[in-house]
Amino acid sequence: MEKRTLPERPGWRDKAQELGFTFADMGGEPYWDETSAYRFTLRQIEDDIEDPATELHALCREAVDRAVRDEAWLTRLDIPRQHWDLIASSWARGEPELYGRMDLAYDGSGPAKLLEYNADTPTSLYESASFQWLWFEQQQAAGVLDADADQFNSIHEAIVARWTQICADGEELHFTADPDNPEDYATVETLAWAAREAGLGAHFTPLSQIGLTEEGQFADDQSRVIGTLFKLYPWEDMLRDSFAAHLQASGTRFIEPPWKALLSNKGILPLLWQMFPGHPNLLPAFFLSDVQDALSGGSPATEVAQAFEAARETLARGYVTKPIFSREGAGVVIHENGDEVARTSDDSYSHHPMILQGLASLPDFDGFHPVLGAWIVGENCCGLGLREDRARITHNLSRFKPHFIEG
Amino acid sequence: MTERFTRKRSRHVALVLAGTATLALAGCEDDRMDAQSFPDLESCIAASQQDTLWFTEDDCRKNFAAAQEEFLETAPRYESKELCEQEHGVGNCGGDPAQTQEAQNSGGGFSFMPLLVGYMMGSMLSRGGGIFSQPMVKTADGRFSTPKGDQSFASNRGTGKVSAATFQRAPSTIGKPAMTATQVSQRGGFGASATARSGGRSSAGG
Repeated sequence: MEKRTLPERPGWRDKAQELGFTFADMGGEPYWDETSAYRFTLRQIEDDIEDPATELHALCREAVDRAVRDEAWLTRLDIPRQHWDLIASSWARGEPELYGRMDLAYDGSGPAKLLEYNADTPTSLYESASFQWLWFEQQQAAGVLDADADQFNSIHEAIVARWTQICADGEELHFTADPDNPEDYATVETLAWAAREAGLGAHFTPLSQIGLTEEGQFADDQSRVIGTLFKLYPWEDMLRDSFAAHLQASGTRFIEPPWKALLSNKGILPLLWQMFPGHPNLLPAFFLSDVQDALSGGSPATEVAQAFEAARETLARGYVTKPIFSREGAGVVIHENGDEVARTSDDSYSHHPMILQGLASLPDFDGFHPVLGAWIVGENCCGLGLREDRARITHNLSRFKPHFIEG
Repeated sequence: MTERFTRKRSRHVALVLAGTATLALAGCEDDRMDAQSFPDLESCIAASQQDTLWFTEDDCRKNFAAAQEEFLETAPRYESKELCEQEHGVGNCGGDPAQTQEAQNSGGGFSFMPLLVGYMMGSMLSRGGGIFSQPMVKTADGRFSTPKGDQSFASNRGTGKVSAATFQRAPSTIGKPAMTATQVSQRGGFGASATARSGGRSSAGG
């Protein structure tokens, strides 16, 4: 893994505009940045990222299977009790998942470590699946990249194939998001074009326009009943909105399915550590309330005492605390050798239960810290999108960096 | 170019983001057909005089008649004017012209319909088909739609490409009981939750 300075494609900003990639610059800062790119070997991609991410997804499914039938875990994951059945039955029915993005810490050697799994509403899909692909094809055509170089990015084709697997031929799908957020809408559009390619109908309706019929079905902005709904809107919010009471009776099929509420919840990290302690791609993780006292010389909660003792040295070197629900780095605090060394200013999620996770420092490339986004479609890892930040905590203004495979 | 035996990237992707400004997600790109809308028969006839177009005066007349008939058969029927105006805008509704005095007297309840505000013609000529038409009515937000109401258009006058599905006939409403307020009783029950944010608009994703 190395960071390589490369010439930018002439006129790429115009091309981005023309394609509708309107947020290539955000907040006056470049968001898409192709002044350099990350290079990986094929072995690094396949052995260190692709296979482990696919395996981690399988472990996550095992963790869901455990949590969904365990009231103590449902409580810890802050799932409202009245929706336990919705979640359990969606898992029992085997409702298929569509996509997710694992954020991994990796420096080119040693096992990649799972920082968190955004399994419900990951964005940056267009940049990863499409614009990054275009960058690669154009740079290869221009001779900037070798003829035998490649990119870990079969995301688009994997999504098309997944749609055909999980939907009936010609099924009509609804997509919803906040249309005023270009990043969210771009992610929805990327999925919707793939659905069209899979022979499905795709209709967008703004989140705020979803209605309820007198029969208790959900309807779109044109009053058509919604049969299947892809929502770029997190389950933890869906379950707390005023329409939440109608979720189960509506008959609507949701994508991601309700059981993803358990996965896209950072409380899954302590559960994974409890089930698979010492797994090379996992970091030690606990609920903060279980180990808070132990950090300052007291005792951990009995049920995690053994695991905490085993992780004590690792945690003494460094740990991170974060809320079980948060987006884009909000509420993350890094501690090293007992001192707080970094925190994000956004603490709008910090009233939620907190977890503590061993610190996997992101590598430093020219003063930037890349985090790897491993895309999961269905149950397999099929692509990569990198974001890097000057700060040690990746947030929503970090830069998206293209990557390629060589060697 | 040498190809790796196993290629790690897609052979093609979908590159274009159309954004919310378009009807991109309401119709399929590769099944688009030429269409033209007119507020009335006269404007269609006037346009047909330009010989570069794909329709003739005769097409205007035939399709206008067909659209009028289809309007009577398929336009939504409501049990009250208020309900109709809620869906189609104030001043855009009227009585049901197909309803006879007898039917009303026999207790059949009077129904209200949106007004016919034009028609759209579409050409399948390039694919060996004919010319199709659909009546147009107003929507609550000041746009125009066909009776099916699944797509809306900014204007009832103009040229564009629309999905072939636009010309699928809506279900028949003539002689059926008028709609009550059962259609859509509430909106906006998603999106308010603040598990997350204390103000400000932020991405729901991450």
